[in-house]
Amino acid sequence: MKIWLALFAFLAPAAVSAADNVSLTSKVLVERVKPGPDGKPVTVREEPGVVTPGDRLVVVLSYRNGGDQPATGFTLTNPIPAAVAFTGTDDSSAVLSVDGGKSWGALASLKVVGADGTSRPAVAADVTHIRWSLRQPIAAGSRGELSFRGVVE
Amino acid sequence: MTRNMRLLASASVLAAAAVAASPASAAGTAAGTTVTNSVTLEYKVGGIDQNQVSASDSFTVDRKVNLSVAEAGTSATTVTPGQTGAATIFTVSNASNAPLDFALAATQLSGGTAAHGGTDNFNVTAVKIHADTNGNGTYDPGTDVEITYLDQVAADTSRTVFVVADVPLGRSTDDVAGVRLTATAAEATAASTLGATITQTTGANTSAVDTVFADTNANGNVARDGIHFAEDDYVILAASLTATKTSRVISDPFNGTTDPKMIPGAVVEYCIAVANSTGSATATGIDITDTLPPETTYDSAFGIKLNGTMTGSTCNADGTSGGSHASGIVTGTLNDIVGGVTRTLVFRVSVN
Repeated sequence: MKIWLALFAFLAPAAVSAADNVSLTSKVLVERVKPGPDGKPVTVREEPGVVTPGDRLVVVLSYRNGGDQPATGFTLTNPIPAAVAFTGTDDSSAVLSVDGGKSWGALASLKVVGADGTSRPAVAADVTHIRWSLRQPIAAGSRGELSFRGVVE
Repeated sequence: MTRNMRLLASASVLAAAAVAASPASAAGTAAGTTVTNSVTLEYKVGGIDQNQVSASDSFTVDRKVNLSVAEAGTSATTVTPGQTGAATIFTVSNASNAPLDFALAATQLSGGTAAHGGTDNFNVTAVKIHADTNGNGTYDPGTDVEITYLDQVAADTSRTVFVVADVPLGRSTDDVAGVRLTATAAEATAASTLGATITQTTGANTSAVDTVFADTNANGNVARDGIHFAEDDYVILAASLTATKTSRVISDPFNGTTDPKMIPGAVVEYCIAVANSTGSATATGIDITDTLPPETTYDSAFGIKLNGTMTGSTCNADGTSGGSHASGIVTGTLNDIVGGVTRTLVFRVSVN
Protein backbone atom coordinates (compact mmCIF):
# COMPACT_ATOMS: atom_id res chain seq x y z
CA MET A 1 0.00 0.00 0.00
CA LYS A 2 2.71 2.39 0.95
CA ILE A 3 4.38 1.76 -2.31
CA TRP A 4 1.23 2.67 -4.15
CA LEU A 5 0.84 5.82 -2.11
CA ALA A 6 4.42 6.78 -2.76
CA LEU A 7 3.99 6.16 -6.47
CA PHE A 8 0.78 8.19 -6.47
CA ALA A 9 2.57 11.02 -4.67
CA PHE A 10 5.27 10.89 -7.27
CA LEU A 11 2.77 10.94 -10.07
CA ALA A 12 0.33 13.40 -8.51
CA PRO A 13 1.80 16.53 -10.04
CA ALA A 14 0.70 15.39 -13.45
CA ALA A 15 0.23 19.09 -13.48
CA VAL A 16 3.98 18.99 -14.25
CA SER A 17 3.05 18.46 -17.88
CA ALA A 18 0.55 21.32 -17.62
CA ALA A 19 3.39 23.41 -16.22
CA ASP A 20 5.28 22.90 -19.46
CA ASN A 21 2.43 24.83 -21.04
CA VAL A 22 4.01 27.99 -19.71
CA SER A 23 5.78 29.41 -22.72
CA LEU A 24 8.43 32.06 -22.79
CA THR A 25 10.06 34.01 -25.60
CA SER A 26 12.90 36.49 -25.71
CA LYS A 27 12.90 39.07 -28.47
CA VAL A 28 15.61 41.62 -29.03
CA LEU A 29 14.44 44.75 -30.85
CA VAL A 30 16.30 47.86 -31.93
CA GLU A 31 14.94 51.30 -31.00
CA ARG A 32 15.39 53.84 -33.78
CA VAL A 33 14.19 57.40 -34.18
CA LYS A 34 12.54 57.94 -37.53
CA PRO A 35 10.39 60.66 -39.06
CA GLY A 36 6.76 60.03 -38.14
CA PRO A 37 3.70 60.49 -40.33
CA ASP A 38 3.72 64.21 -39.62
CA GLY A 39 7.43 64.54 -40.10
CA LYS A 40 8.25 64.76 -36.39
CA PRO A 41 10.73 62.20 -35.09
CA VAL A 42 9.16 59.15 -33.44
CA THR A 43 10.80 56.21 -31.74
CA VAL A 44 10.03 52.87 -33.36
CA ARG A 45 11.00 49.33 -32.42
CA GLU A 46 12.24 47.13 -35.23
CA GLU A 47 13.80 43.77 -35.89
CA PRO A 48 17.55 44.08 -35.32
CA GLY A 49 18.47 44.43 -39.01
CA VAL A 50 21.80 46.21 -39.30
CA VAL A 51 23.01 46.67 -35.72
CA THR A 52 26.24 48.44 -34.83
CA PRO A 53 27.85 49.55 -31.57
CA GLY A 54 25.89 52.42 -30.04
CA ASP A 55 22.48 51.21 -31.23
CA ARG A 56 19.72 51.15 -28.57
CA LEU A 57 18.03 47.82 -27.86
CA VAL A 58 14.83 46.73 -26.13
CA VAL A 59 14.63 43.10 -24.94
CA VAL A 60 11.00 42.00 -24.68
CA LEU A 61 10.21 38.84 -22.71
CA SER A 62 6.75 37.42 -23.35
CA TYR A 63 5.23 34.69 -21.22
CA ARG A 64 1.94 32.81 -21.34
CA ASN A 65 0.40 30.35 -18.94
CA GLY A 66 -1.15 27.84 -21.32
CA GLY A 67 -1.96 25.39 -18.56
CA ASP A 68 -5.23 25.02 -16.69
CA GLN A 69 -3.79 25.93 -13.27
CA PRO A 70 -2.64 29.33 -12.01
CA ALA A 71 1.13 29.70 -11.71
CA THR A 72 2.75 31.40 -8.73
CA GLY A 73 6.23 32.44 -7.76
CA PHE A 74 6.92 33.60 -11.32
CA THR A 75 10.62 34.56 -11.35
CA LEU A 76 12.40 35.44 -14.57
CA THR A 77 16.17 35.92 -14.51
CA ASN A 78 17.98 37.48 -17.48
CA PRO A 79 21.78 37.93 -17.53
CA ILE A 80 22.71 41.06 -19.49
CA PRO A 81 24.55 39.83 -22.64
CA ALA A 82 28.26 40.58 -22.80
CA ALA A 83 28.04 43.05 -25.69
CA VAL A 84 25.13 45.03 -24.23
CA ALA A 85 25.17 47.75 -21.57
CA PHE A 86 21.97 47.84 -19.47
CA THR A 87 20.28 51.24 -19.48
CA GLY A 88 16.96 50.73 -17.69
CA THR A 89 13.60 49.04 -17.24
CA ASP A 90 10.09 50.32 -16.60
CA ASP A 91 8.91 47.22 -14.68
CA SER A 92 8.35 47.83 -10.98
CA SER A 93 8.72 44.11 -10.30
CA ALA A 94 12.37 44.13 -11.48
CA VAL A 95 15.46 44.00 -9.28
CA LEU A 96 19.03 44.26 -10.49
CA SER A 97 22.36 42.68 -9.64
CA VAL A 98 25.82 44.07 -10.23
CA ASP A 99 27.70 41.10 -8.76
CA GLY A 100 26.74 38.26 -11.05
CA GLY A 101 23.45 37.40 -9.40
CA LYS A 102 24.63 37.05 -5.79
CA SER A 103 22.69 40.01 -4.47
CA TRP A 104 19.72 41.96 -5.80
CA GLY A 105 18.09 45.30 -5.31
CA ALA A 106 17.16 48.62 -6.85
CA LEU A 107 20.03 50.30 -8.70
CA ALA A 108 20.18 53.12 -6.14
CA SER A 109 20.89 50.60 -3.37
CA LEU A 110 23.69 48.73 -5.14
CA LYS A 111 27.40 49.34 -4.78
CA VAL A 112 30.40 48.22 -6.78
CA VAL A 113 33.60 47.33 -4.96
CA GLY A 114 36.81 48.13 -6.82
CA ALA A 115 39.99 46.09 -6.87
CA ASP A 116 41.44 48.27 -4.13
CA GLY A 117 38.47 47.65 -1.86
CA THR A 118 36.84 51.06 -2.26
CA SER A 119 33.15 51.01 -3.10
CA ARG A 120 31.13 53.42 -5.20
CA PRO A 121 27.43 53.57 -6.11
CA ALA A 122 26.57 51.29 -9.02
CA VAL A 123 25.55 52.78 -12.36
CA ALA A 124 23.35 51.21 -15.04
CA ALA A 125 26.32 49.95 -17.04
CA ASP A 126 27.45 47.88 -14.01
CA VAL A 127 24.28 45.74 -14.06
CA THR A 128 25.02 42.07 -14.72
CA HIS A 129 21.55 40.56 -14.26
CA ILE A 130 17.93 41.61 -14.14
CA ARG A 131 15.24 39.59 -12.36
CA TRP A 132 11.50 39.96 -12.19
CA SER A 133 9.60 38.34 -9.31
CA LEU A 134 5.87 38.56 -9.96
CA ARG A 135 3.87 38.44 -6.74
CA GLN A 136 0.45 37.96 -8.31
CA PRO A 137 -0.48 34.51 -9.59
CA ILE A 138 -0.52 34.15 -13.33
CA ALA A 139 -4.00 32.91 -14.13
CA ALA A 140 -4.47 30.03 -16.50
CA GLY A 141 -4.59 31.28 -20.04
CA SER A 142 -3.17 34.73 -19.24
CA ARG A 143 -0.07 36.27 -20.76
CA GLY A 144 2.25 39.16 -20.03
CA GLU A 145 5.31 41.04 -21.14
CA LEU A 146 8.40 42.34 -19.39
CA SER A 147 11.20 44.33 -20.93
CA PHE A 148 14.49 46.09 -20.37
CA ARG A 149 16.60 48.44 -22.45
CA GLY A 150 20.28 48.48 -23.30
CA VAL A 151 22.88 49.84 -25.71
CA VAL A 152 25.14 47.75 -27.97
CA GLU A 153 28.66 48.25 -26.67
CA MET B 1 2.88 15.66 -0.05
CA THR B 2 5.15 18.23 -1.29
CA ARG B 3 8.27 17.25 -2.94
CA ASN B 4 10.66 19.60 -4.51
CA MET B 5 11.18 18.64 -8.07
CA ARG B 6 13.41 21.36 -9.23
CA LEU B 7 15.08 20.20 -12.39
CA LEU B 8 17.56 22.73 -13.58
CA ALA B 9 17.23 22.91 -17.34
CA SER B 10 20.31 25.08 -17.80
CA ALA B 11 23.01 26.62 -15.71
CA SER B 12 22.70 30.09 -17.19
CA VAL B 13 21.34 31.47 -13.91
CA LEU B 14 24.74 30.94 -12.37
CA ALA B 15 26.60 33.06 -14.97
CA ALA B 16 29.50 34.97 -13.52
CA ALA B 17 29.81 38.73 -13.35
CA ALA B 18 32.10 38.62 -16.37
CA VAL B 19 28.97 38.23 -18.48
CA ALA B 20 28.33 41.96 -18.47
CA ALA B 21 31.91 43.22 -18.60
CA SER B 22 32.40 46.24 -20.87
CA PRO B 23 34.58 45.75 -23.95
CA ALA B 24 37.98 47.38 -23.76
CA SER B 25 37.62 49.26 -27.03
CA ALA B 26 35.74 52.48 -27.60
CA ALA B 27 35.05 51.30 -31.17
CA GLY B 28 32.68 48.74 -29.71
CA THR B 29 31.93 45.08 -30.03
CA ALA B 30 33.77 43.45 -32.92
CA ALA B 31 31.81 43.16 -36.16
CA GLY B 32 30.53 39.63 -36.67
CA THR B 33 30.00 39.00 -32.95
CA THR B 34 26.78 37.10 -32.21
CA VAL B 35 24.98 38.57 -29.20
CA THR B 36 22.58 36.19 -27.47
CA ASN B 37 20.05 37.12 -24.82
CA SER B 38 18.95 34.22 -22.59
CA VAL B 39 16.20 34.27 -19.98
CA THR B 40 15.11 31.60 -17.54
CA LEU B 41 11.76 31.32 -15.81
CA GLU B 42 10.99 29.49 -12.56
CA TYR B 43 7.50 29.12 -11.20
CA LYS B 44 5.20 26.92 -9.15
CA VAL B 45 1.89 25.30 -9.80
CA GLY B 46 -0.08 24.24 -6.77
CA GLY B 47 2.91 25.33 -4.68
CA ILE B 48 5.21 22.85 -6.40
CA ASP B 49 8.28 23.97 -8.29
CA GLN B 50 8.00 23.24 -11.98
CA ASN B 51 10.63 22.67 -14.66
CA GLN B 52 12.60 25.74 -15.42
CA VAL B 53 11.69 27.29 -18.78
CA SER B 54 14.22 29.17 -20.87
CA ALA B 55 14.27 31.19 -24.07
CA SER B 56 16.92 32.98 -26.08
CA ASP B 57 17.29 35.27 -29.04
CA SER B 58 20.36 36.33 -31.02
CA PHE B 59 21.52 39.00 -33.43
CA THR B 60 24.83 39.72 -35.18
CA VAL B 61 26.76 42.93 -34.62
CA ASP B 62 27.47 44.52 -37.98
CA ARG B 63 30.45 46.59 -39.04
CA LYS B 64 30.49 50.31 -38.27
CA VAL B 65 33.18 51.93 -40.40
CA ASN B 66 34.46 55.12 -38.80
CA LEU B 67 37.79 56.58 -39.89
CA SER B 68 39.35 59.96 -39.35
CA VAL B 69 42.47 61.84 -40.43
CA ALA B 70 43.81 64.63 -38.29
CA GLU B 71 46.83 66.87 -38.44
CA ALA B 72 49.32 66.03 -35.71
CA GLY B 73 50.18 69.22 -33.84
CA THR B 74 48.59 72.61 -34.18
CA SER B 75 50.94 74.63 -36.38
CA ALA B 76 52.18 74.72 -39.95
CA THR B 77 55.56 73.30 -40.94
CA THR B 78 58.05 76.16 -41.43
CA VAL B 79 60.39 75.64 -44.40
CA THR B 80 63.06 77.54 -46.30
CA PRO B 81 63.11 77.87 -50.08
CA GLY B 82 65.01 74.99 -51.66
CA GLN B 83 64.53 72.70 -48.64
CA THR B 84 64.07 69.02 -49.53
CA GLY B 85 62.23 66.28 -47.65
CA ALA B 86 60.08 68.62 -45.56
CA ALA B 87 57.38 66.73 -43.67
CA THR B 88 53.87 67.50 -42.45
CA ILE B 89 52.54 65.03 -39.89
CA PHE B 90 49.10 63.40 -39.79
CA THR B 91 47.35 60.78 -37.67
CA VAL B 92 45.03 58.27 -39.39
CA SER B 93 42.62 56.59 -36.97
CA ASN B 94 40.40 53.52 -37.25
CA ALA B 95 37.47 53.95 -34.86
CA SER B 96 35.54 51.10 -36.46
CA ASN B 97 34.68 47.83 -34.75
CA ALA B 98 36.69 45.92 -37.35
CA PRO B 99 40.23 46.07 -38.83
CA LEU B 100 40.62 48.04 -42.07
CA ASP B 101 43.12 48.95 -44.78
CA PHE B 102 43.32 52.65 -45.70
CA ALA B 103 44.15 53.80 -49.23
CA LEU B 104 46.09 57.10 -48.95
CA ALA B 105 46.38 60.09 -51.29
CA ALA B 106 48.29 63.37 -50.80
CA THR B 107 47.06 66.35 -52.82
CA GLN B 108 47.81 70.08 -52.89
CA LEU B 109 45.52 73.03 -52.46
CA SER B 110 45.11 75.36 -55.46
CA GLY B 111 44.61 78.72 -53.83
CA GLY B 112 42.02 79.27 -51.17
CA THR B 113 42.36 79.52 -47.43
CA ALA B 114 44.99 77.23 -45.95
CA ALA B 115 44.48 75.16 -42.81
CA HIS B 116 46.50 77.53 -40.61
CA GLY B 117 45.25 80.73 -42.18
CA GLY B 118 46.77 82.61 -45.05
CA THR B 119 46.15 81.90 -48.69
CA ASP B 120 47.70 78.96 -50.51
CA ASN B 121 49.95 80.55 -53.16
CA PHE B 122 52.49 77.97 -54.20
CA ASN B 123 52.95 74.23 -54.64
CA VAL B 124 55.60 72.03 -53.16
CA THR B 125 57.11 69.37 -55.42
CA ALA B 126 57.90 65.63 -55.29
CA VAL B 127 55.07 64.97 -52.82
CA LYS B 128 55.27 61.52 -51.22
CA ILE B 129 53.65 59.69 -48.31
CA HIS B 130 55.78 57.91 -45.72
CA ALA B 131 54.94 55.71 -42.75
CA ASP B 132 56.44 56.30 -39.32
CA THR B 133 58.34 53.03 -39.61
CA ASN B 134 60.40 53.51 -36.45
CA GLY B 135 57.41 54.90 -34.54
CA ASN B 136 59.20 57.99 -33.18
CA GLY B 137 56.79 60.65 -34.49
CA THR B 138 59.51 62.33 -36.59
CA TYR B 139 60.21 61.87 -40.30
CA ASP B 140 63.54 60.05 -40.67
CA PRO B 141 64.62 59.91 -44.33
CA GLY B 142 65.83 56.48 -45.34
CA THR B 143 64.17 54.79 -42.36
CA ASP B 144 60.52 55.79 -42.68
CA VAL B 145 59.30 53.81 -45.68
CA GLU B 146 57.31 55.35 -48.54
CA ILE B 147 53.76 53.94 -48.69
CA THR B 148 50.56 54.30 -50.68
CA TYR B 149 48.23 52.68 -48.14
CA LEU B 150 48.04 51.59 -44.50
CA ASP B 151 47.80 47.82 -44.08
CA GLN B 152 45.62 46.01 -41.50
CA VAL B 153 44.94 48.86 -39.08
CA ALA B 154 43.32 47.22 -36.04
CA ALA B 155 40.04 48.48 -34.56
CA ASP B 156 40.52 51.41 -32.22
CA THR B 157 44.10 52.17 -33.28
CA SER B 158 45.88 55.04 -35.04
CA ARG B 159 48.95 55.36 -37.25
CA THR B 160 51.26 58.35 -37.85
CA VAL B 161 51.72 59.27 -41.53
CA PHE B 162 54.11 61.84 -43.04
CA VAL B 163 53.48 63.83 -46.22
CA VAL B 164 56.97 64.70 -47.49
CA ALA B 165 57.78 67.25 -50.20
CA ASP B 166 60.48 69.55 -51.59
CA VAL B 167 60.19 73.34 -51.42
CA PRO B 168 60.96 75.39 -54.54
CA LEU B 169 63.39 78.33 -54.57
CA GLY B 170 62.28 81.88 -55.07
CA ARG B 171 59.54 82.01 -52.44
CA SER B 172 59.11 84.79 -49.89
CA THR B 173 58.46 84.67 -46.15
CA ASP B 174 54.81 83.80 -45.32
CA ASP B 175 54.11 82.10 -48.66
CA VAL B 176 51.86 79.09 -47.99
CA ALA B 177 51.52 75.67 -49.66
CA GLY B 178 48.60 73.63 -48.30
CA VAL B 179 48.53 69.84 -48.56
CA ARG B 180 45.70 67.40 -47.90
CA LEU B 181 45.97 63.75 -46.82
CA THR B 182 42.90 61.65 -47.72
CA ALA B 183 42.22 58.14 -46.38
CA THR B 184 39.66 55.78 -47.92
CA ALA B 185 38.39 52.74 -46.01
CA ALA B 186 39.20 49.39 -47.65
CA GLU B 187 38.81 45.74 -46.73
CA ALA B 188 41.62 44.35 -44.58
CA THR B 189 41.54 40.91 -46.19
CA ALA B 190 45.11 39.84 -47.16
CA ALA B 191 48.18 41.25 -45.43
CA SER B 192 50.53 43.40 -47.53
CA THR B 193 47.80 43.94 -50.13
CA LEU B 194 45.42 46.90 -50.33
CA GLY B 195 41.88 45.50 -50.08
CA ALA B 196 38.84 46.57 -52.11
CA THR B 197 37.24 49.92 -51.27
CA ILE B 198 34.44 49.33 -48.77
CA THR B 199 30.87 50.15 -49.73
CA GLN B 200 27.96 50.57 -47.37
CA THR B 201 25.34 47.81 -47.28
CA THR B 202 22.19 49.13 -48.92
CA GLY B 203 18.83 47.54 -48.42
CA ALA B 204 17.83 45.19 -45.65
CA ASN B 205 20.02 43.46 -43.11
CA THR B 206 21.65 40.27 -44.31
CA SER B 207 22.82 37.27 -42.34
CA ALA B 208 26.41 38.23 -43.19
CA VAL B 209 28.17 41.16 -41.57
CA ASP B 210 26.77 44.36 -43.06
CA THR B 211 28.54 47.71 -43.19
CA VAL B 212 27.42 51.13 -42.02
CA PHE B 213 29.55 54.25 -42.55
CA ALA B 214 29.87 56.51 -39.51
CA ASP B 215 32.62 58.98 -40.50
CA THR B 216 31.91 62.63 -39.74
CA ASN B 217 31.80 65.85 -41.73
CA ALA B 218 34.46 67.57 -39.62
CA ASN B 219 36.63 70.22 -41.33
CA GLY B 220 34.93 70.12 -44.70
CA ASN B 221 34.56 66.34 -44.99
CA VAL B 222 31.44 64.61 -46.33
CA ALA B 223 29.78 62.56 -43.59
CA ARG B 224 29.29 58.81 -43.99
CA ASP B 225 31.12 58.19 -47.26
CA GLY B 226 33.99 56.01 -46.01
CA ILE B 227 36.50 58.79 -46.79
CA HIS B 228 38.16 61.31 -44.50
CA PHE B 229 40.85 63.96 -44.97
CA ALA B 230 42.76 66.62 -43.09
CA GLU B 231 45.01 69.46 -44.23
CA ASP B 232 48.28 70.98 -43.12
CA ASP B 233 50.52 73.75 -44.46
CA TYR B 234 54.09 74.50 -45.42
CA VAL B 235 54.90 78.12 -44.60
CA ILE B 236 58.01 79.80 -45.99
CA LEU B 237 60.47 81.60 -43.73
CA ALA B 238 63.05 83.03 -46.13
CA ALA B 239 65.97 85.36 -45.70
CA SER B 240 65.44 88.66 -47.45
CA LEU B 241 68.78 90.31 -48.19
CA THR B 242 69.44 93.66 -49.75
CA ALA B 243 72.95 94.78 -50.57
CA THR B 244 73.75 98.46 -50.76
CA LYS B 245 77.08 99.87 -51.90
CA THR B 246 78.10 103.37 -50.87
CA SER B 247 81.32 105.30 -51.08
CA ARG B 248 82.91 108.31 -49.44
CA VAL B 249 86.06 110.25 -49.98
CA ILE B 250 88.47 109.84 -47.09
CA SER B 251 91.33 112.14 -48.17
CA ASP B 252 93.04 113.76 -51.12
CA PRO B 253 96.74 114.71 -51.49
CA PHE B 254 96.07 118.45 -51.12
CA ASN B 255 93.18 118.83 -48.63
CA GLY B 256 94.09 115.84 -46.50
CA THR B 257 91.07 114.67 -44.60
CA THR B 258 89.48 118.13 -44.46
CA ASP B 259 86.81 118.38 -47.15
CA PRO B 260 88.67 116.01 -49.49
CA LYS B 261 87.79 116.02 -53.17
CA MET B 262 87.50 113.19 -55.63
CA ILE B 263 90.74 113.95 -57.52
CA PRO B 264 93.49 111.62 -58.68
CA GLY B 265 95.30 110.43 -55.57
CA ALA B 266 92.21 110.65 -53.38
CA VAL B 267 91.42 107.73 -51.10
CA VAL B 268 87.85 106.45 -51.42
CA GLU B 269 86.22 104.03 -49.01
CA TYR B 270 83.57 101.61 -50.27
CA CYS B 271 81.02 100.11 -47.90
CA ILE B 272 78.92 97.17 -49.01
CA ALA B 273 76.07 96.78 -46.52
CA VAL B 274 74.06 93.56 -46.47
CA ALA B 275 70.75 93.90 -44.62
CA ASN B 276 68.44 90.98 -43.70
CA SER B 277 64.93 92.29 -43.17
CA THR B 278 63.23 91.88 -39.82
CA GLY B 279 61.35 88.60 -39.34
CA SER B 280 63.41 86.72 -41.90
CA ALA B 281 65.30 83.48 -41.58
CA THR B 282 69.01 83.73 -40.78
CA ALA B 283 71.13 84.07 -43.91
CA THR B 284 74.35 82.07 -44.00
CA GLY B 285 77.22 81.64 -46.42
CA ILE B 286 77.13 85.26 -47.53
CA ASP B 287 79.84 85.64 -50.18
CA ILE B 288 80.54 89.08 -51.58
CA THR B 289 82.48 89.71 -54.76
CA ASP B 290 83.21 93.24 -55.88
CA THR B 291 85.10 94.25 -59.02
CA LEU B 292 86.98 97.52 -58.59
CA PRO B 293 86.46 100.27 -61.14
CA PRO B 294 89.42 100.32 -63.59
CA GLU B 295 90.33 103.88 -62.56
CA THR B 296 91.13 102.81 -59.01
CA THR B 297 93.87 100.94 -57.16
CA TYR B 298 93.18 98.71 -54.19
CA ASP B 299 94.52 100.05 -50.86
CA SER B 300 96.20 97.00 -49.38
CA ALA B 301 97.38 98.89 -46.30
CA PHE B 302 93.79 99.36 -45.20
CA GLY B 303 92.74 95.91 -46.25
CA ILE B 304 89.22 94.51 -46.10
CA LYS B 305 87.11 94.87 -42.97
CA LEU B 306 84.34 92.30 -42.51
CA ASN B 307 81.22 92.16 -40.28
CA GLY B 308 81.20 95.85 -39.43
CA THR B 309 78.01 97.52 -38.25
CA MET B 310 76.06 100.56 -39.43
CA THR B 311 74.65 103.45 -37.47
CA GLY B 312 71.88 104.95 -39.49
CA SER B 313 73.40 105.25 -42.96
CA THR B 314 76.99 105.49 -41.71
CA CYS B 315 79.27 102.49 -41.98
CA ASN B 316 81.13 102.21 -38.69
CA ALA B 317 84.83 101.41 -38.71
CA ASP B 318 84.39 98.33 -36.53
CA GLY B 319 84.93 95.49 -38.97
CA THR B 320 87.66 92.87 -38.57
CA SER B 321 90.31 92.11 -41.15
CA GLY B 322 89.51 89.36 -43.57
CA GLY B 323 88.61 88.62 -47.14
CA SER B 324 91.07 88.83 -50.06
CA HIS B 325 91.92 90.90 -53.10
CA ALA B 326 93.36 89.71 -56.37
CA SER B 327 93.56 91.38 -59.78
CA GLY B 328 91.10 94.11 -58.97
CA ILE B 329 88.48 91.84 -57.40
CA VAL B 330 87.65 92.01 -53.72
CA THR B 331 86.01 88.99 -52.09
CA GLY B 332 84.90 88.30 -48.53
CA THR B 333 82.45 86.11 -46.63
CA LEU B 334 80.32 87.63 -43.90
CA ASN B 335 79.14 85.87 -40.73
CA ASP B 336 75.52 84.67 -40.52
CA ILE B 337 73.07 87.56 -40.49
CA VAL B 338 69.86 87.10 -38.49
CA GLY B 339 66.68 88.93 -39.47
CA GLY B 340 66.77 92.65 -38.71
CA VAL B 341 70.57 92.94 -38.75
CA THR B 342 72.96 94.63 -41.21
CA ARG B 343 76.64 93.75 -41.67
CA THR B 344 79.23 95.44 -43.85
CA LEU B 345 82.30 94.73 -45.96
CA VAL B 346 84.51 97.79 -46.18
CA PHE B 347 87.66 98.43 -48.30
CA ARG B 348 89.48 101.39 -49.76
CA VAL B 349 90.94 102.35 -53.08
CA SER B 350 92.90 105.31 -54.42
CA VAL B 351 91.83 107.16 -57.50
CA ASN B 352 94.37 106.69 -60.25
